[in-house]
Amino acid sequence: MNLLDIRNLSIELIHNEQSIRAVDKVSLSMKEGEVRGLVGESGSGKSLVAQAIVSVLNDKWHVHADRFHWRGIDLLRLSIPERKAILSRDIAMIFQEPMACLDPTTTIGEQLAEAIDETQLSGFFWQKKQQRLTATIKLLHKVGIKNHSACIKSYPHQLTEALCQRVMIAIALARQPILLIADEPTTAMENTNQEQIFKLLASLNQLKNMAILLISHDLENITHWTNTITVMYSGQFVEAGTTAQIFNKAMHPYTQALVDSSPMANLHLPAKSRLMTLPGSIPILQHLPIGCRLGPRCPRAQQDCVKAPSVSNFHGHKVSCHFPILQNPKLKKTKRA
Amino acid sequence: MLTFTLRRLSLFIFTMLLLTLLSFSLSFLFPGDSLINLSGAIYATPNQLIQLNESYQTSSNIFSQYIAYLKHILNADLGLSMASQTQISHEIVNLLPATIELSLVALFIAMLTGIPLGFIAAIKHNKPSDNIILSVSMVGYSIPVFWLGLLAILTFSINLGWLPSAGQISLLFEIKLVTGIQIIDILLSDSPYKWQAFSDATAHIILPACVIAVAPATIFIRLARTSMIEVLNTSYIRAASAKGLSFQQIIFRHAIRNALIKMIRHVGLQFANLVTIAMVTEVIFSWPGIGRWLITSINQRDYTAIQSGLLVLSCFIFVIHILTDFIYAALNPLARGNRHGS
Amino acid sequence: MARDKIYLEEVFPSPFMQLWLIFRRTPVAMVGFSCFIFLIILAIFAPVLAPHSPIEGQLNMPLLPPAWHIDGDVSYLLGTDELGRDMLSRLMYGTSLTFGLSFIVVIISLVVGVLIGSFSALTTGIKSSFLNHFLDVILSIPSLLLAIIIVAILGPGINNTLWAVVMVLIPQFVHITRYAVKEEFRKDYVLASRLDGASPFRILYYSIFPNIVDRIMSQATLAQSAAILDIATLGFLGLGAQIPLPEWGATLANGLDLFYIAPWTVYLPGLAILFAVVVTNLVGEGIRHALKLRKER
Repeated sequence: MNLLDIRNLSIELIHNEQSIRAVDKVSLSMKEGEVRGLVGESGSGKSLVAQAIVSVLNDKWHVHADRFHWRGIDLLRLSIPERKAILSRDIAMIFQEPMACLDPTTTIGEQLAEAIDETQLSGFFWQKKQQRLTATIKLLHKVGIKNHSACIKSYPHQLTEALCQRVMIAIALARQPILLIADEPTTAMENTNQEQIFKLLASLNQLKNMAILLISHDLENITHWTNTITVMYSGQFVEAGTTAQIFNKAMHPYTQALVDSSPMANLHLPAKSRLMTLPGSIPILQHLPIGCRLGPRCPRAQQDCVKAPSVSNFHGHKVSCHFPILQNPKLKKTKRA
Repeated sequence: MLTFTLRRLSLFIFTMLLLTLLSFSLSFLFPGDSLINLSGAIYATPNQLIQLNESYQTSSNIFSQYIAYLKHILNADLGLSMASQTQISHEIVNLLPATIELSLVALFIAMLTGIPLGFIAAIKHNKPSDNIILSVSMVGYSIPVFWLGLLAILTFSINLGWLPSAGQISLLFEIKLVTGIQIIDILLSDSPYKWQAFSDATAHIILPACVIAVAPATIFIRLARTSMIEVLNTSYIRAASAKGLSFQQIIFRHAIRNALIKMIRHVGLQFANLVTIAMVTEVIFSWPGIGRWLITSINQRDYTAIQSGLLVLSCFIFVIHILTDFIYAALNPLARGNRHGS
Repeated sequence: MARDKIYLEEVFPSPFMQLWLIFRRTPVAMVGFSCFIFLIILAIFAPVLAPHSPIEGQLNMPLLPPAWHIDGDVSYLLGTDELGRDMLSRLMYGTSLTFGLSFIVVIISLVVGVLIGSFSALTTGIKSSFLNHFLDVILSIPSLLLAIIIVAILGPGINNTLWAVVMVLIPQFVHITRYAVKEEFRKDYVLASRLDGASPFRILYYSIFPNIVDRIMSQATLAQSAAILDIATLGFLGLGAQIPLPEWGATLANGLDLFYIAPWTVYLPGLAILFAVVVTNLVGEGIRHALKLRKER
């Protein structure tokens, strides 16, 4: 059974009677224990999708979806507080700049203790305090922070970014979530620290069978750590499939361009030659192209691309393109998803 | 923390010197003989004049005159008031506590009303209650304080008869003068009419304090609203809501503390504004404070009193500024400036 | 055959025009602005519009209540004071005194303050740090106190009030100009002009001033509302306009003795001051609101 099943999620910004579709009919599904990557450039709307799932968006964004199922429960039928209660119990999120996401005037210990679920504690309130402290120390050990006493007493600005990110993961783990959404967790760090954070996430996935939705703009980095990948471009769904399928047999021109632009793929080029990239840049929100938003930049674009493409499914490898790159032209489509 | 204190202390000393320089120069700018302006002895005999000339060093150059003036101040000799011929320092010591009492009560009232209203306006941003609070605060900011005082006296004292309109306490009560601050003196004294005196003094202080508090309260509303809106848009509030905390918990545990810290500096800076308004209000309500004394002196052209009054009042305001800086540094971990890695 | 425009042409109005367009769309700000213009017209044309003289009174008609009272008289629309002077004419002449004077005060202190501020922003080192501390000290003395001191030096009278309030407002403009110019100096477009070899004055005039004009304008409205209140307070305390000038604060002080028998002599000037300050604040708020919206775009 699918853990998370979202169909045709759209997020609009209504501004002066104009509505701008920042995210246009994106579908996402996750299974238990899966590590899925959500890849796209900055401006592709991936953070918006994540925030819409956890429902922390501002009032100015309007969110619609055809289907939004969580572990079989249809969330669209519930009222907003009920939805939020279920989601905050089971889904946790970590953000991009960890130090900015911690309250600068409260100690780490207090912030961790806040996240611990009240219902798991028992007894009188001084016993609860002690239990909270032990639970906090246990969480810190779980994310690999050995000297917990210094950490608990310090303020966020006294720690490094990597340490703050570990604290954020600890706060996320406090509620024992089933799905962890990591919104570009390592963008603000150096490579060595990035390795450590990814290793931590991978070990959590294996030990606790926790599903992870890893959002990033770096396709190559993600491929080491994920089982499946979804690619987005400018708010639209582009391609989804297993990591091997995406990386080796990309079907959408955009995914192909992404793979081609990574350093590994460019190793074979002779020195001082141009790197392979798509011309142009991502369209701004005020001037979004109609139909397929890659149209103006796509090397394979034709007349039909002014209509929005529908999603085609080739043995679990979904792609949204009128003219996908088919390695084997005789490949039969299994079903229209 | 030590470097912070030292820096503030040096700023304090520098400012004090500048203020004394300013008040010293006033004695030359005011019409009349500069020596008489400094000392206030308009009825001095020739012998006394010679003595005064000696002590104020009028025959030497400007710099030693300034040093002589400083010496007088450090000896707490601010001269004689031209109008009443009493020691100015005595009068100031009697009058300053009353002003302090009034200003502090007014500041308190302004903070208690302004800051929560500003927070509420920020939480209900862009909804009708936000606009109502903003419009009311704009009108409150625009009312001339003397007019408001007169209207308040008309409504509450004369038409409704609830509150008295003049003085600090009814003349029937005799309270021993200890600190000069009526409320504290009443609580310290052991008169048999203690609680009646207390309620009487409170009744006397409410109306002027509320009138003074109106303009600063509106400024606090605006400050609190801006800082709370800023705090509510930060990443950590969003992360806290993703953490699963309820809205109420977020506001009370995180947002309020951060918003208060952002605005506490400006609260201290408003004190100068408040004291100015207090001066005018003291005149209207016949409150025996330093503001009323200063304005009477100006009307009577009592230059010595004006000079010393200006000096004392500005020093007082500046001390409050420095205190606020200290409180801010004590509350805000970031301003303390110690950083260490993990 | 004429071709229709296929592509949407983008019109990019200048920042000032943008500000004006946003300002024009806020109804509250436009109401405030029109009242502001009304007050300015009143201040200039008061001698022409006022029905009676504000100084000479009809001694046989003292203390008439306003026209909506039973004893009132329509030719004295807002009543008279104890010397028979018409309140309406007094208030209208008072507009030119209190409001008009505050306007002139703001313009003078704006020009002087901006000049001093921009010059001081160009200097660096000990001179600027000294000026900074000096400004801090002056700004920490309450403005009314400073005005009172200056009036005490110069003596009472409405001319001296003007100079006193000007000298009080100048440090505020110096401070804000200095801050704004320093901030703009750090930006890259100024760096580009400097690398081109432009002299500081050229940079100031062409690059920086157009960008800080709106901040200065918003400070000017704040200064004007403070100036109106200061002039009125000085008039009330007897230090500003002397009798028989119909300045609003002085008129109010005049009516104090008769507060219980003729309360309109106290209400009306107060309402006039309130109206003028609210109108100025509305315009100021409109400018600040438009500034914020323009930044968001």
